[in-house]
Amino acid sequence: MSDVLVALSAIRNKFALSESRDAEQVHPRNFVMTLVAVAANEAEERVARRACRMILEQHPAQAIVIRDQPTMDAGLLEASISTEVHRSETASAAQYELLTLHVRGAAGDHLAELVEPLLDSGVPTYMWWVGTPPFGKRSFDEALQTCDQLVVDSARFESPYLSFLSLARLVTSPQRHQGVADFQWSRLRPWRETIAQFFGPAERRPFMGGISGVGIDYAGEARGNRIAASLLIGWLATTLGWQLQRAAGGSGGVVAAYYVTQGVKSIEVNFRSVPKAGLASGEIMAVRLSGAAGGKTFNLTIQRDPERPRRIGSDSSFNPRQQPEGGDDAGMELAARRAEWHRDVLHENLDSLHHTATGDAPGESVPKRPTVFNRDRRRADASLVLLTMIDIGGGDTLRHVQRMDPEDAATLLLELLSVGTRDDVYTRSVPAASELLRSV
Amino acid sequence: MIAPEPNPLAEGLHDYRVADPSIMVILGATGDLSGRKLLPALYNLAKQRLLPAGFAVVGAAIDDMTDEAYRAHAAEKIKEHSRTQPVDATALESFLAATFYSRVDFTKLDDFKALQRRLEELDHSRQTGGSRIYYCATPPPTYETITEQLNAAGMVGGPATHRIVVEKPFGSDLKSARELTQILQRVFHEDSVYRIDHYLGKETVQNILAFRFANSIFEPVWNSNLIDSVQITAAEELGVELRGAYYDRAGAMRDIVQNHALQLLSLVAMEPPLAFDANAVRDEKVKVLRAIRPISDEEVAHATVRGQYTKGWVLGEQVPGYREEKDVASGSLTETFAAVRLFIDNWRWANVPFYLRAGKRMPKRVTEIRILFKRPPHLTFGRKATQELEPNAITLRIQPEEGITLRFGAKVPSAGLKIRSVTMDFQYMTSFLVEAPEAYERLLLDCMIGDPTLFTRADEVETAWSLIDPIEAAWRDGRPPLGFYPAGTWGPPAAGKLLQADGREWHRP
Repeated sequence: MSDVLVALSAIRNKFALSESRDAEQVHPRNFVMTLVAVAANEAEERVARRACRMILEQHPAQAIVIRDQPTMDAGLLEASISTEVHRSETASAAQYELLTLHVRGAAGDHLAELVEPLLDSGVPTYMWWVGTPPFGKRSFDEALQTCDQLVVDSARFESPYLSFLSLARLVTSPQRHQGVADFQWSRLRPWRETIAQFFGPAERRPFMGGISGVGIDYAGEARGNRIAASLLIGWLATTLGWQLQRAAGGSGGVVAAYYVTQGVKSIEVNFRSVPKAGLASGEIMAVRLSGAAGGKTFNLTIQRDPERPRRIGSDSSFNPRQQPEGGDDAGMELAARRAEWHRDVLHENLDSLHHTATGDAPGESVPKRPTVFNRDRRRADASLVLLTMIDIGGGDTLRHVQRMDPEDAATLLLELLSVGTRDDVYTRSVPAASELLRSV
Repeated sequence: MIAPEPNPLAEGLHDYRVADPSIMVILGATGDLSGRKLLPALYNLAKQRLLPAGFAVVGAAIDDMTDEAYRAHAAEKIKEHSRTQPVDATALESFLAATFYSRVDFTKLDDFKALQRRLEELDHSRQTGGSRIYYCATPPPTYETITEQLNAAGMVGGPATHRIVVEKPFGSDLKSARELTQILQRVFHEDSVYRIDHYLGKETVQNILAFRFANSIFEPVWNSNLIDSVQITAAEELGVELRGAYYDRAGAMRDIVQNHALQLLSLVAMEPPLAFDANAVRDEKVKVLRAIRPISDEEVAHATVRGQYTKGWVLGEQVPGYREEKDVASGSLTETFAAVRLFIDNWRWANVPFYLRAGKRMPKRVTEIRILFKRPPHLTFGRKATQELEPNAITLRIQPEEGITLRFGAKVPSAGLKIRSVTMDFQYMTSFLVEAPEAYERLLLDCMIGDPTLFTRADEVETAWSLIDPIEAAWRDGRPPLGFYPAGTWGPPAAGKLLQADGREWHRP
């Protein structure tokens, strides 16, 4: 580690002096954070390095990717440092550092001691545990003490149920001083926003107390990962004052739960898993809320980008008022949109298509290339669409299509880092979600 | 009007500011402002999921167009002017599906009645509850006709929310500003009138308040005990471009100083408001404007400077003089540069001069506020050690490189004792992990939500005009004489002398 620190110091001095040019003043370093990503295997390391690079391209910071290799020979620490300087027309140059540490043997049990000397005083430290954190282990508790915020992704938990209960204990621990954030919770944001929007107008507020049914489809097979669905219900329950009465699980990941509000009104909650490629296990695919208040019925259906119509089996555990993903023409409508996005593929293969079309040898001529900002280029295909359908009383169905932000690790991290990880609503939703999970 | 209880489901949703479903009617929908600013801003709000289900845009103008033709026009403008590129096909399509068009000749009541019928249909199909925003993207002389026609066609009043948005200039003097207010208030309550000054929608302008009132270390020194002077610069490298006809009637004082520069001054100098809400903030701003010492007729020649650019070089290109610009009178006496020294007669700012300058064809585009502090009362380290030490200064950069700079003294590393100035630089671009929205996005959303904090109230406008009118009157009499400056310089020589007379000099941004 001493060698790493010396090398870092030399790199920083070189940058500062090169930026000062003829001036006597050295250029100030402007790190906005230290991001420590802990990976347990090569795949997680790749995810961490890619996300860190994407963040660092936009924000001067230090990122440390640590890969713990406890089974390999002890006594060796492999380190690599990469640094880049970004110059802008309208701002001073900014530098970033990406430090990768491969920790072998028992040193991995002492992450805190590894990380501590690398941290800048006064700069917030975010610790991103890419896989399943070793909840309850001393080394994990010590590592937590070095950071201000912990970020996890409960969709990646190996044993979702047990790990989530451990996470819930951590989140609700009175001793905890770090903020805790979960990508699963971040992925719920557009769903929460859309639900909140529906109940926003003053004349629709009474509907909040009139909810009688909630249905959730989530990606996965059999029981799968029910954390996101449980968190969404936990959020609704704690916000709207629902108390869990009973819950039961069936085959195919089906869950039926009953809540009451104000001691009398019953709310039926159903969720089930639906196989879906390309989505993290447990990600929400559709949410349906229905009920009545003030003599009016209402249905709110929110669906994630359905690429193709899917039949709902006759053995469904509940009968949605509107068939998700294509019960009306939503599937076709959104498939058409998807086709439009596929035109982007043409842009990506512009060179080869150009040479095919012109017969020119590669390099002889170049096609016209539209200006695409890096940020948008990498986001183009990762984003999704939410289709919202609103039925109030006997009126026409109001349809609303929204493009969602992508949900890759870099985007979710950026959002968390920009708004902070101390989220009271999450903190109170987690126990309600774990109560539901435990009772199934 | 009683505000509804906060939506409990919105708690904890960062940046959740979604309006209730409504229809925004853009009057002058085919014009430049609509194409360059409003439609791109609305598209970006839609892209950020800040427009609710049911929200609709209805363009209204004299051009004959179908809904489809207007959607094509809107798509073209959005692709050309959106701050986020490339334009997202799904977000755009969804936005355009909620965009409609009605042909309206502002002089014809029947056209407004037809528009009203169209809006009623949309109210029903999109469940907007009749809420509407009428955005006047038209020249100010049309405001009177538009408001009267809206009223006559039954498009205002009733239980639903109806707001009107008007663009600056809000009059050309105190009298015309009052007339405009009366015209608007004949139909709309003042709470429903949104006077848009896009400067106030800039994140960095709003950050002035955060900087001052969210930090405990600055406010104790923010007064005449420690502050020597304040300079506000609003410079543009551009000339009058296609606005020659308007600008030749207005000039720099009316175009920039009366609104943007005085708004910045009021934000820098105001007392802490009780809360960041519309009336508390605007009350404090008005108090500052009212505390500005009016410049008497005798003082105008010494406390103000006016200038006009002649041909010169800007950013490496030769540019014509103002009088050679399109739609500008060949013998025009309109100022393209204005500078003024103001004093705020209150306890906090007694005897602290505020120097304001605004001009076109300056060396670069820059807007900034520089707060210059007094020197330490005693030179502990001796004159020689501190001869390169400048007084402390805080610079609030509004554009283009948004940020804050603090200048202070530090010992030069050496065996001896020498102190010189160094700067600590905060840059928005590299210090925050989120992109700042365009000013119009913020302001349009505020208007939809019904938050007028960042809009100008009638009394603010009128108080500002009451300060400017005497200056304009003296200038019309030739006091002080119009100075000239080559394009690409920081104004006429008199501008420098204005500060030199006080033993100071302009900061070079």
